[in-house]
Amino acid sequence: MSYIDPKKSSRSAIEVGGVPVNIVVAPRGATGDKREGLLTIFYKSVKSLLTGMKVTIGYLVRPSTVVTQQYPENRETLKMFERFRGQLRLVKDENGYMNCNGCDFCEKACPNGSIILQDRRNSVSGKSELERYLWRLDSCTFCNACIQACPHDALEWSDGFEAAVYDRRLLVYTLNDYAGPPVNHIKRFKKKAGTPEDRVEELLATMEPRHQYGGPTPLSGKGMPGVPPLKTD
Amino acid sequence: MLDFLFGQLVATHATFDVVTLSDRTTQALAEDPWLAAGYALLGLAGVGGFLSLLGMALIYVERKVAAHFQCRLGPMRVGWHGMLQSVADAIKLLLKEDIIPDRADRVLFLIAPVFSIIATTLGLILIPMSPSLQVVDLNIGVIFISAVSSFGVLGILLAGWSSNNKWSLLGAMRAGAQFISYEISVTLSLLVVTLFAGSLQLSEIVQSQQDGWWIWRGHIVGLVAFFVFLIASTAELNRPPFDLPEAESELTGGFHTEYSGLRFSFFFLAEFINMFIASALAATLFLGGWMPFHIGGLHTFNGLMDLIPPGLWFAGKTTFIIFLIMWVRWTFPRLRVDQLMRLEWKFLLPVGFINLFAAATLVITKLYFFPW
Repeated sequence: MSYIDPKKSSRSAIEVGGVPVNIVVAPRGATGDKREGLLTIFYKSVKSLLTGMKVTIGYLVRPSTVVTQQYPENRETLKMFERFRGQLRLVKDENGYMNCNGCDFCEKACPNGSIILQDRRNSVSGKSELERYLWRLDSCTFCNACIQACPHDALEWSDGFEAAVYDRRLLVYTLNDYAGPPVNHIKRFKKKAGTPEDRVEELLATMEPRHQYGGPTPLSGKGMPGVPPLKTD
Repeated sequence: MLDFLFGQLVATHATFDVVTLSDRTTQALAEDPWLAAGYALLGLAGVGGFLSLLGMALIYVERKVAAHFQCRLGPMRVGWHGMLQSVADAIKLLLKEDIIPDRADRVLFLIAPVFSIIATTLGLILIPMSPSLQVVDLNIGVIFISAVSSFGVLGILLAGWSSNNKWSLLGAMRAGAQFISYEISVTLSLLVVTLFAGSLQLSEIVQSQQDGWWIWRGHIVGLVAFFVFLIASTAELNRPPFDLPEAESELTGGFHTEYSGLRFSFFFLAEFINMFIASALAATLFLGGWMPFHIGGLHTFNGLMDLIPPGLWFAGKTTFIIFLIMWVRWTFPRLRVDQLMRLEWKFLLPVGFINLFAAATLVITKLYFFPW
């Protein structure tokens, strides 16, 4: 066997155009290596074959090594692994308030325009907030750039992989289920000195529900069963 | 010492009366022709049914074993744990469109798979499954089996030639070269056992092992012959790691590229039944066939072993060797053509010849175990 021996390699440096360049000369394995005897070759080949057989019989006798999922049957208990990228989802807290404030970072990070954000200004707090988070599954490449770009940890991948539909328009999702202030805005508004309780109520009242398929795509087409028509104001 | 432990040390010759189906037919012919016809019909139906049922069972087992070797589950949907998958596949194959290529040699194309399946059937009738379960017991059984197994490769060659497809022809040529090469090694290791047993008749070879199986009575020689037989017959079966005739990655299916439906299933079935025949033959020649595990002279021990019926012994041994062949298939990568030829002509052939000489010496000097 010939291999590169680090101990035998020589190091030197030369200067090319004022830039020092390191040179490592690694000798090949000695050319006069003795060929292994027949018995050694036989022994080594049998040993390597037996090693392979040991590995496979290990898989056979241990059913726990089976990785196949009996999918439709174990739908309830199926657990996807940590790094699985199913569908994009907005992170929500225990009260159902989202982290996303519609800052557009993800939209700018998206390499192929699969994310479109619409913002609005809140009438009570006067802050800019999310009106509609449109995500196009049909053009998404699941590159994760949006999640890396998000400064508020407002995005995550869900486990859902059953995204097949019969109509392409159903692949355009509205991710937020309400248009309104994110959790940070609500907290700050509450903390603001002298904010009466009814003002907070008023802020929360500005929230409007958004349907998954309430986005512009169903609007451009005709009505579909199960998809409410978009209200045009 | 052994005498003291296990009772009297006598040469046991517990007799097993071998009665084959053809014997029964001949006997019945004189008295009752209808009974003779019944026996003959039973033999035909038995072989045919055994052929197809065993084929389906082996395909199922192969798929399951392969799956678990590869961390998969295999067929799970049709029936309990996919038990009926093979039945479904068989029905599908029978209903498939039968395509004959436009420029194929029509007659040869049609009879090639029949050649294959006939060779397999002829091999199957000779296998002694138990003293009373054997269709024909020829006195040249070993020669007959190696002769008809060569007949099977004729079907493969014809299939490759008549398909008029370069991939098929390449696969068939590979099959021919491979078969001719490895047939020598198979025959050499068959000869070792023939020397030991002093007979070519399969039932007599089994009877000759009632003091111990040849694989350990012939100690090193028997073991070497067994492994040479196993390797060479795996190559003859065209199974991985020697599946060059059909090498999917290079030849898109090899000799059966152009075959579909029933004709394809003939090749497929023949391949799997050939695996059974090779395993059964290895069990018969080296592991004693239906003969229970005996140690020469230990009367009590042998008597205890006789309690297990011979058919079970045969089934167990054959299953073990089939499993071994499957294990090898799903572990090793495929050989290259030159490696295949090198393995045979430079390794197996010299080893086989030396082993044959050693066996001859052993038989003359009676140096094997229990030479009485």
